[in-house]
Amino acid sequence: MKTTIEENGGVQVVTFEGRLDTAASAQTEKDLQSLDYESGQDIILDCSHLEYISSSGLRLFLGVLKNAKEKGIHVYIKGITDDVRSVFAMTGFINLFEFKQ
Amino acid sequence: MKKILKRLKPESIRSKSGLAIIVTAAILVEVTSAVQYLFARQGIRQEVEHRAESELRAKRLEIRNVTNVVEVAVENMAWAVQQRLQQPDSMLAITRKLLSDNEYIVGSAVAFEPNYYKEKGRQFSPYSYKQNGNILSKQLGTDSYDYHSMEWYTVPMKSGNAHWSDPYFDEGGGEMVMSTYSLPIRDPQGNIVAIFTADVSLDWLSELINARHIYPSSYNLLLSRTGQIMACPVESLVMRKNIEQVTADIEDTTVDYINRQMLSGGSGQATIRDQKGEKNYVYYAPMGDGTGWSMAVICSDYEVFYSLRQVGFNLFILMLLGLGLLCFIIMRTARNVRRLQAVNAEKERMGNELHIASEIQKGMLPKTFPPYPERDDVEIFGSLTPAKEVGGDLFDFFIRDEKLFFCIGDVSGKGVPASLVMAVTRSLFRTVSAHEASPERLVTQMNDSMAQMNETNMFVTLFLGVLDLPTGRLRYCNAGHCPPVLVGDGVGQIPVLSNVPVGLMAGWKYEGQELLVRPQTTIFLYTDGLTEAEDYKHAQFGEGRMMKALKEMTPTDSQTPQSIIERITDTVTDFVGDAEQSDDLTMLAIHYTKSQLDVKFTRNLVLQNDVQQVGRLNEWVDEVCEAVGFDATTTMQMNLALEEAVVNVMNYAYPHGIVGNIHIEAQANDMRLKFTIVDSGSPFDPTAQEEADTSLSVEDRPIGGLGIHLVRQLMDSINYERTEGKNILTLRKKLTQK
Repeated sequence: MKTTIEENGGVQVVTFEGRLDTAASAQTEKDLQSLDYESGQDIILDCSHLEYISSSGLRLFLGVLKNAKEKGIHVYIKGITDDVRSVFAMTGFINLFEFKQ
Repeated sequence: MKKILKRLKPESIRSKSGLAIIVTAAILVEVTSAVQYLFARQGIRQEVEHRAESELRAKRLEIRNVTNVVEVAVENMAWAVQQRLQQPDSMLAITRKLLSDNEYIVGSAVAFEPNYYKEKGRQFSPYSYKQNGNILSKQLGTDSYDYHSMEWYTVPMKSGNAHWSDPYFDEGGGEMVMSTYSLPIRDPQGNIVAIFTADVSLDWLSELINARHIYPSSYNLLLSRTGQIMACPVESLVMRKNIEQVTADIEDTTVDYINRQMLSGGSGQATIRDQKGEKNYVYYAPMGDGTGWSMAVICSDYEVFYSLRQVGFNLFILMLLGLGLLCFIIMRTARNVRRLQAVNAEKERMGNELHIASEIQKGMLPKTFPPYPERDDVEIFGSLTPAKEVGGDLFDFFIRDEKLFFCIGDVSGKGVPASLVMAVTRSLFRTVSAHEASPERLVTQMNDSMAQMNETNMFVTLFLGVLDLPTGRLRYCNAGHCPPVLVGDGVGQIPVLSNVPVGLMAGWKYEGQELLVRPQTTIFLYTDGLTEAEDYKHAQFGEGRMMKALKEMTPTDSQTPQSIIERITDTVTDFVGDAEQSDDLTMLAIHYTKSQLDVKFTRNLVLQNDVQQVGRLNEWVDEVCEAVGFDATTTMQMNLALEEAVVNVMNYAYPHGIVGNIHIEAQANDMRLKFTIVDSGSPFDPTAQEEADTSLSVEDRPIGGLGIHLVRQLMDSINYERTEGKNILTLRKKLTQK
């Protein structure tokens, strides 16, 4: 599991690669701490290469969304696969996030 | 004002028909009594007329009796006078003879024409009269009394016929009322030569006329041809007054008419008003041929119709009383009808409500049978026949996480109160068993809730069971209910502790029991409405007959729960016959068949409670899924479900820092894939956790609680069992049909 954060045109883009399962979530949580909620820059979670997500991963996504909402910035999910989208659907997360192609 | 009108209106509408009845009745009674009164009046008038005419006839006869005697006697003696015209001195003897032979004749004279006998002078009238019982004689004509000018002499002389004189009071003579009958005497040449007289006392007339009255205050009146009053009840008027004098002050002109009629010998009747203006009826008729007397019978209207008026008055009072009574009855009836209507409306409303309540109650019971057509491990049938619209019996069941939760209960009492408690019990059963699978804890919780709000000391006998469908393990708790029966290889009651019924004692710790139900066994549950069903002799169906019926059931009958209940229902219906159903009759039959398909595939994995081992789990699940032929998406789903379930165990089963093992087994048959996750940690039932609410907003959404939700979403069933100190979590997924 690999998580990278980079700034691109005034937007913070987080790219997930691999399986975000319970074992990986501890490291991913650490990686996400470098997100800057104070900059006012929106966040794009790029899930194009996210193969798998479990509830521990969903919790991290929800954490990011809560932090961002507090600061008034938007969180978009980009390039989600059908399998991962179905997990979002089952948990109702699909209603919480904004999706971008 | 409007208010008053509004208030009056419905009242007046209601009393309208009553008023109509009273008015109609009053008119009917009034018309009837008026007609009756008129007829009676007419009858009485006829009766009066009849009586008055009889009276007149009778009096006339009696008068004629006397006057006839006198007339005949005088005529007989007249022959003697004619024979002895040549012997003037024999005349006195003739008059004396007439007197002695007739009691009514008090004087008699033969009065000759002037100078008939030269020797006797101008006046010759030998006269005899009665005085103090003796007969005396004298000459009538004197210088001071020239009889040739007297009425009794001149009238017959002129007419040549017999004549009755007008009555007169004989002063100085007999001191009595008299009338003189005069008969002309003719000589052989036919010339009238003398007048033969008989003085008749009329004292008897007064007595005769006043003797009888047709009514107590009616009276008779006798008049002479000149209108002299000859007899009437007022003594002072007799022979002193003329009728015209007496009636002069009466305004009614009919009276004058009657007077004229009477004086001219007419007869008839008339209605007059006297001096006081009171109404009287007068009937009159002539009393004799020669006398010219006329009699009248006078009766007062008041007296004639007195009894009729009395009867009429009484009738009127009776009618008033009757109408009053009618009024009263109508008002009472109307009030009763209104009351009855109100009661009926209330009854209907209650009936409707009861019907609705009955429907609501039916809706609370499972009504789709078979309830789980897709399952091959359990078949259920239940029936509830309430004695009244609503009843206090209940049964319910549902499957959660491969466990069949079921209960049967009987609320004390019947009817609406019992049905309310039944509804509470049923919803409590559903509520508490959503997150709890231990029967004793379920019943304890239900009991605490119900005992707290139990104001009426109503209670429920309850049997609550939780059948673990994969294993056939039945955990149950009995709260004072009759023991269910197992019908399988043999027939026997389930051993039960009685505990206490639910709702009576808050804080009671209910004890649970457990047994293993073998496949092909039916759990038969019932309420005492079955065993206590009574026939017309009040004999009870009893446990014995029930057990016998269950034992005698053929294998075909006991194959399905429906046929078992139908057989028992038939048996008890035959027993009860026509007797009325006294209690709710409820039965529930659960037929258990453990699905035992050949296991085609088994894989095992042991993990420690370390989330870093999730990777191993992934690899193992991938292998299993590949082996059963799942596609990538399903494989991902199995991975996710297993990860969530196992991580849950890793996080909660063992205390922090304690290393424990988790055994995972995958088994597959032709139908499904089954994962069994076993650990030896502290008891933890993930299925008892609250469902995650996926509709909440970001702010409200809790960070945790998603794991078990995902497992439920991804797997076909989830089942938790705690056996022999182990937590056993079973997840099942149907195999994809190829």
